[in-house]
Amino acid sequence: MIAKLIPNRNQLVILAILTILFVLVFIPILYLIILSLKDNGQIYGRFWSAPNPIRWENFALAWEVINRPIINSVVASSVATLGNIVFASLAGYAFARHQFPGKEILYTSILALLMIPPILTLIPEFVLLSGMGLVNTLWALILPWMAGGQVFSLLLFRTFFANLPEDFFDAARIDGGSELQLFWYIAIPLSGPIIVTVAIIRLVATYNQYIRPLLVISDPQKQVVAVAITQFTSELGVTDLGPQMAAYIVATVPLIIFFSFGMKYYVSGLTSGGIRA
Amino acid sequence: MKLPIRLFAAILFVAIAVIIVLSLTQGQLTGVLWDVTVNGRLNTTAINGDGDRIAFGSSSNVLEVYDASGSRLWEFEAENSILGVDITSDGLWTAAASEDRNTYLLDADGQAVWEFKAPRSANNVAIADDGSFLAVTANDRSVYGLDEAGTLLWQDTDGTNVRAVDIYGTGDNARAVVGTDGSRLTIYSRSGQALLQAFLDYAISDLAVTANGARIAVGTTDGTVTLVHGGNGSIVWEASVGAPVERIALTQNGQNILAATNTGRALLLNDAGEILQTFEQDATLMDVAIAGDGSVVAFTTEGGYGQLQNQQLAAAAVESNQSQRNQTVYGAIALLVLTTAFAGWSIRSTDSGRIFWETRTAGPRKLLRRMWRARLSYLFILPTILLLATFNYYPAASGLYHAFTDWKPGVSAEWVGLENFAYLLQDRFFWSGFLNVLILIIVGIARIVTVPLLAAELIFHVRHKTARYVFRTLFIIPIVLPMVVEIMVWNNIYDPNIGLLNQTLIALGLKDWTQVWYGDGRVALLSIIFIGFPWVDPFALLVFYGGLIGISDEIFDASRVDGASGLRRFWHIDVPLLLGQARMLTILTFIATVQTFELVFLTTGGGPGSATYTPALELYLMATRLNKMGVASAIGIVLFVIILAGTIFSYRARREPAV
Repeated sequence: MIAKLIPNRNQLVILAILTILFVLVFIPILYLIILSLKDNGQIYGRFWSAPNPIRWENFALAWEVINRPIINSVVASSVATLGNIVFASLAGYAFARHQFPGKEILYTSILALLMIPPILTLIPEFVLLSGMGLVNTLWALILPWMAGGQVFSLLLFRTFFANLPEDFFDAARIDGGSELQLFWYIAIPLSGPIIVTVAIIRLVATYNQYIRPLLVISDPQKQVVAVAITQFTSELGVTDLGPQMAAYIVATVPLIIFFSFGMKYYVSGLTSGGIRA
Repeated sequence: MKLPIRLFAAILFVAIAVIIVLSLTQGQLTGVLWDVTVNGRLNTTAINGDGDRIAFGSSSNVLEVYDASGSRLWEFEAENSILGVDITSDGLWTAAASEDRNTYLLDADGQAVWEFKAPRSANNVAIADDGSFLAVTANDRSVYGLDEAGTLLWQDTDGTNVRAVDIYGTGDNARAVVGTDGSRLTIYSRSGQALLQAFLDYAISDLAVTANGARIAVGTTDGTVTLVHGGNGSIVWEASVGAPVERIALTQNGQNILAATNTGRALLLNDAGEILQTFEQDATLMDVAIAGDGSVVAFTTEGGYGQLQNQQLAAAAVESNQSQRNQTVYGAIALLVLTTAFAGWSIRSTDSGRIFWETRTAGPRKLLRRMWRARLSYLFILPTILLLATFNYYPAASGLYHAFTDWKPGVSAEWVGLENFAYLLQDRFFWSGFLNVLILIIVGIARIVTVPLLAAELIFHVRHKTARYVFRTLFIIPIVLPMVVEIMVWNNIYDPNIGLLNQTLIALGLKDWTQVWYGDGRVALLSIIFIGFPWVDPFALLVFYGGLIGISDEIFDASRVDGASGLRRFWHIDVPLLLGQARMLTILTFIATVQTFELVFLTTGGGPGSATYTPALELYLMATRLNKMGVASAIGIVLFVIILAGTIFSYRARREPAV
């Protein structure tokens, strides 16, 4: 293998640049891992030495203070994503395969929402949620998240359903299937890839959200992990660096799990080449 | 034909009569229990714990104490105006501060037990619930601590006017809380030791403290009510009440705060700083008081008018007036619908009417029938429409509208035209943010179309299949890092003491180069820009990589035949064919960067000074710290317009793709 590479000087240069880039990309991650295994004495006293002894207990402490926010995050993101998929697939199906009065006007007015940035609706939405008495509950995240991703998800679902061959549906119609049955027994079983893609996009987007939870949740018990890990000293009472770094790693675990299920779809979705403006 | 019309007219007449009667009966309910009028100004008022002792002190030198039903129990006459009064929560002791320089302690029958003379007028007084400790503020800018016998325990002078005083605790644990025009807030022990000091931004006009001392409500001259943590002096929240606060009162548990402003309006706030209720008086308010249990509230005015209101009844009155108004509106709407239906029905009941009906409504009825047949489709899109209407359309419309108002959610939204935008024009933080975001956009776009493209090209040209796969995977892995985690790690890298960057510089012998990276206005923005170095964005990498895969092999082969290789190929084939991807990434980066918030909020907080502000940060701070919801909405509109303009521009500027 190496023998094949050596003769080609270009290949060597490419590999060398890639390796340098790779090292630069991973320095912060490596730094994070090393710090997470040290105590304050090791960080302040012996900065350059390897963790010795390795402080695995940092992770136990991190989990202790961060498990509640992680659960909050996973619950809020999952419920919001589930609702998003259910409603967007229903609407996407209707827009793709049904004819009804007002369809184009409704669809255009929904697509127009793509132009509205979240920052515009942030404050009025906060006021609205306060009025509904939802502030400091997970609903204050779930409902806007469910709504927030609707437009893009709907767009993906509509495109997908519109490209399904009409033959499948005709056959089922001849057998006397109702529209609801067509959706449930024909369209949904075919849409595994698009469902996973939407799920990954929405799970990651909501899990990473910062400003909205910061605004609508003030109770540390209800806070999501993205905000909680920035409030160690103020809300959680953790001042040591090691456990903080460990908590950053623990906070990443749900995303690692999401991606390990959906990375294949995510990569193939982005590299299939159709994405351009 | 005749009969239905007459019947119809009769029904209409009766219904209108009912509505008139309904609207006449509304607004009768108020919370006023009783009121008094005296000569001169009613300077001050106080209520005990359960609302059965109410004291009024006037400029005609008289202090009167009433019971809950409004009958006068006793009165006491000083030698000059009564300026301040306080009652113990059991109502047994009353303390009065007078312009005659005396402070009086009065027993349950209004007899003076002792008096204490200050060098100047005593302007306010507070008494501990067991009567064992009193604090007096006087016009000589001093605070006096007195014991139960009227003996001076201590005196303190701040050098600025002082009138805000309250006491919590009993016996040796009694504490006096004092606020001055110098905006200093001090908690004194019974022996006069200053236990805690805190500074607010504006002169303190009045304050009140809960029975356990956990929370202090402070009114300041800038029109803010601030709730201060009694244990450490930190600010729990600030609420804007729109006009300078004159006096402030608090229930024992701190659930309700009553603040009087200099406009004659008093606002009732809850313990979260939300405005529950507004009380209006015709004349300028002199003082307000609320019972320790929050049951009744008292107001005194410049015109010598004093009033006791039942707080619950007052709230109910507001609510029922509201609901009656709603009932009237609904009644009118229902009537309108009924009338229309009845008119339709009576027209249809004649032959010519029926023909007219059927010809004219054929179109709409056909549409309705089609819509009814498609009802399942509407059912499918209904949840989406409802969600979007509630959480996207409505907030967007609300933000658009309120950008032109002085918005106090739940209270008022006064139309101010372009005032909020004018405010932004002279706000240096906004302008600084604007400039910073411009820099961030240029840098952001420049790096998203270069580094990931370079990485994608390099990976694409690795000939060894496994190596190629490994590199592609390795560069995508960082996508699992939440953005907040990445920022926090970089915060640590930039840490001036134990950060990786400074430690590396020291280890390399470049100690002179070390910096407080976020602390220097000239370096802070650059430091923020370098977060994420070397900026191999996994998303962009995949998009470019996908683009490269999509360029067909024929084009590559053809180019090879033509002798194009290496850089020539890159410039003449790859770059033109990847323009679509680059444009999409540019738009996405532009939209995201205009809204930059976390990147500065979590690193420098916008500092030092205004060096790293962004408009989104300014929006957040306007809404949360300054309560300027209207200005925050205006910033939202400005950002929206910028994004809209940028996106439209980029689509307009698009030339037809080469292939």
